[in-house]
Amino acid sequence: MIQTRIKTKVIAGVVLLALVAVAGFAQKGPKDKIAFGPLNPIKIPKVETATLSNGLRLFLVEDPEYPTIDVWAWVRAGSVFEPADKAGLAGITGQVLRTGGTAAKTGDEIDKELETLAARVETYIGQTNGALSVSCLKEDIDKSLAILADILMNPAFRQDKIDLAKLQARTGIVRRNDDIGQITNREFRKLIYGKHGVYARHTEYATIDAIGRDDIVAFYKTYFHPNNAWMAVWGDFKAKDMIAKIKAALGKWPKGQASTAPWPTVPYQDKFTVNFIDKPDVNQSNVMLGHIGGYMNNPDYPALSIMNFILSFERMFKKLRTDEGLAYSVWGSYGAGYINPGVFSCGIQTKSQSTVYAIDLMLKELKRITEQEVTDEELAKAKDGYLNGYVFEFDSRSQIVNRMMMYAYFGYPLDFSAKIKMGVEKVSKADVLRVAKKYLRPDKVQILVVGKKEDFDKPLSTLGEVNVIDIDIPPAKK
Amino acid sequence: MPSKKFYLKLALVLALAVVLSLAASAQNFDALKARIKTHTLGNGMKFIVFERHDAPVVSFHVYADVGGANESYGITGISHVLEHMAFKGTKTVGTKDYAAEAQVLAEIDAVYDELAREKAKPVPDAQRVAELKAKFDTLEATAKEYVANNEYFDMMMREGDQGVNAYTSNDATQYINSLPSNKLEFWFAMTSDRFLNPVFREFFKERDVVMEERRLGLETRPTGKLFEDFTATAFKAHPYRHGVIGHMSDLRNLTRKDVETYFKTFYGPSNLTVGIVGDVKPEEVFKLAELYFERIPSGPKPAGVRTEEPEQWGERRVAVQAKAQPYLFVGYHVPDTRHKDSRAIEALANILGQGRSSHLYTSLVKTKKIAVAAQSGSGFPGDKFANLVVVMCVPAAGKTSAECLAAIEEEIERIKKESVTEEELTKFKRGTIKGLYGQMTDNGNMASLLTYADVVLGGFDKAFEQVEAIKAVTADDVKRVAATYLVVKNRTIGEIVPEK
Repeated sequence: MIQTRIKTKVIAGVVLLALVAVAGFAQKGPKDKIAFGPLNPIKIPKVETATLSNGLRLFLVEDPEYPTIDVWAWVRAGSVFEPADKAGLAGITGQVLRTGGTAAKTGDEIDKELETLAARVETYIGQTNGALSVSCLKEDIDKSLAILADILMNPAFRQDKIDLAKLQARTGIVRRNDDIGQITNREFRKLIYGKHGVYARHTEYATIDAIGRDDIVAFYKTYFHPNNAWMAVWGDFKAKDMIAKIKAALGKWPKGQASTAPWPTVPYQDKFTVNFIDKPDVNQSNVMLGHIGGYMNNPDYPALSIMNFILSFERMFKKLRTDEGLAYSVWGSYGAGYINPGVFSCGIQTKSQSTVYAIDLMLKELKRITEQEVTDEELAKAKDGYLNGYVFEFDSRSQIVNRMMMYAYFGYPLDFSAKIKMGVEKVSKADVLRVAKKYLRPDKVQILVVGKKEDFDKPLSTLGEVNVIDIDIPPAKK
Repeated sequence: MPSKKFYLKLALVLALAVVLSLAASAQNFDALKARIKTHTLGNGMKFIVFERHDAPVVSFHVYADVGGANESYGITGISHVLEHMAFKGTKTVGTKDYAAEAQVLAEIDAVYDELAREKAKPVPDAQRVAELKAKFDTLEATAKEYVANNEYFDMMMREGDQGVNAYTSNDATQYINSLPSNKLEFWFAMTSDRFLNPVFREFFKERDVVMEERRLGLETRPTGKLFEDFTATAFKAHPYRHGVIGHMSDLRNLTRKDVETYFKTFYGPSNLTVGIVGDVKPEEVFKLAELYFERIPSGPKPAGVRTEEPEQWGERRVAVQAKAQPYLFVGYHVPDTRHKDSRAIEALANILGQGRSSHLYTSLVKTKKIAVAAQSGSGFPGDKFANLVVVMCVPAAGKTSAECLAAIEEEIERIKKESVTEEELTKFKRGTIKGLYGQMTDNGNMASLLTYADVVLGGFDKAFEQVEAIKAVTADDVKRVAATYLVVKNRTIGEIVPEK
């Protein structure tokens, strides 16, 4: 019995092979069944880890294809930690750390030296991370690391470059209402995170004027320590040699107090609001609507990410763009942050004459996903797309090592993406409806419209009481 | 204080390192070139394959040698509209019943033409217009019933396509996909059908989408408006003068027939070049290419663009008045990228205005503090035809475009007079080679580079061979091209003038 079975299988196998071989030469239509062979195995490169005695954590991947080396490190810092009356301090510190030069060299000398080598050494501080980077041809790695080390250990924060950074910041302020997209994003964040919330606030002339060199030096000294940093390195090297090189360059970077200040949380009150910013010189409205989002380590995140795909593509894109021709770009997505709550937002840019019509349609789609289960087909497409595309999370070595470094920085498990994948595999229609009901509140969205109200199809007041937002820039003190 | 000798030594070490690195790069590029295989089908369609087995994925890049520069008056924007229509499916994808659908589509076209003719009359008959419009809407609704909404996207994404997209530029229309590598044949089945049996359904709604795209990218943005008017001013004859997005009135009046005619003219197999990079075997790719694409009938290679930009007779200026801060573009005509001066022109643009140690950044931003950004580049708005070197400048708060223009002129004159240094040349040469490595790291970018080099430069191997030409650029070359091209008579100035 068993033997026969095996035999049949062998024969079936041979027939199948023959069929495949024939099939290999028969043209298929797009909807004919194509037998996909097994995917070649995903070769996950070895990520070497090491911690220097000063606490600097390293993640390294050898990538010998081209003779280059890259370093990308995150320092636990961010503009969320700057005082409100000195908004802009973190960004300026991150910039002048590099441009202000070192005790031995001016920033301009460093610019020239690096650019002649075709190397880059940069520093930066964003909202929830500080960053260091090096990118160079491999023969220049020693010189580039030496420059990075000099910048980190002996920064000079020269006044002329502080002045330049402040001039650039002031120029950014005077230009901040030139672009409708920039206005919409900025003001929507303020609606969700609060006008003065750390995740939404921005610079003003007064906050830039209040920043002095001492503030900059103090901010740098608080956060830039090796034991407050995570570093990813990839390129044409042997891991052992590279660790030795980094040790030689950065081993003397003195240990400091690691930052443990908690990431700020966001108090949020659910409410329905309609907000308007007058922009009489445009013929297209920018619309965003939504409320606070959540965190990525939420066990419901895999179901939410499937819901996002369905809401954004199956619903918003297919209805408002394809069927109605209302917009080039339209979306609906529940945002989740690693350490701060994301924003749930739906958005569209549509001609002034279809503004309210488009908002109504978006709200209808939003409501629908919280009331009815998605279809089997919608769920299957979303899950298949995610799972079939999962291999792309491993398509470059830089991506693999950077993701690992980032997870470590945020205190996430290093195999977090694999956990999400396991979660996605299990998502059901009931899960999608459950999370939509639980996390989306269509009747408590905050709506922001930026545009030319004279040309709207209907007054915004048909949606609710309209709050007009003034975006005039508070003038600089003379 | 280090002595003068020390600096000399340092310079020597530096120069030596450069020589070593450039020799090493030549070896690398030769090795890369050897890994590339090509195959041209009987109908003229060319496939270029680069194997990379690091991960089981593959990127596809279909380069159609047609873009905004191929358009004439009345149909500006059509290359890009066609790109949108290429996602609408075929006789089997995107439809529930093609035979029935095709009939309705034909009726829609007929009613649309009638409506257009009526509207074009000196005094249109309002009742007739209303009737036709109602008929048109009814037919559109009927046609919609046969549509499988976005089925092409659905099918590609469901198999894991991470980059299903396309781009239209002044020079080209490029379609991209990235799939797990065991789905190679699926891509061939889908893509050959896409270029053999396209159906331009939902045309009129998609035209609306493109008009929204124009409002989004251009009409609501002062810098978008400046971009359009600056280009239209710099070019008085060559079709680079109109933007890829097209004029609103052309978009509003394009027909399905226009797009079909355009497709027939420009999407023959001899006008398509495909780059495939990733975990594939060239023999298998070429076998599948023959199986799936050989059936597309060959046609003549479309005629090239006739109009050349004539010599400029004097400086041109254009202003966009907007509720925005000042912004400055300065452009100078230069030859197409195949011209012998082009590498030297690239060096000039690099040394003049790329990076913090460049002339413009040093003078305008660091020293004079009159701008917060100042940079230059070549190949604007494309590089297949004679184009522009452009300086882009963002004046600092309270500073004017005029102040910035004076400082830009000063730096240009300095290069004409004093030439550039060996260090500056090294910066350009090494930077370009490192940039190439960066581009080649990504499967999709590599596929893009290979098709571009093959079509525009005249051979995929030129992507690597141009490194030799880059290495050969001298300071005298840079000085000479600056003196030849960066002259007032040859320039166009565009600026945003703030209005209250």
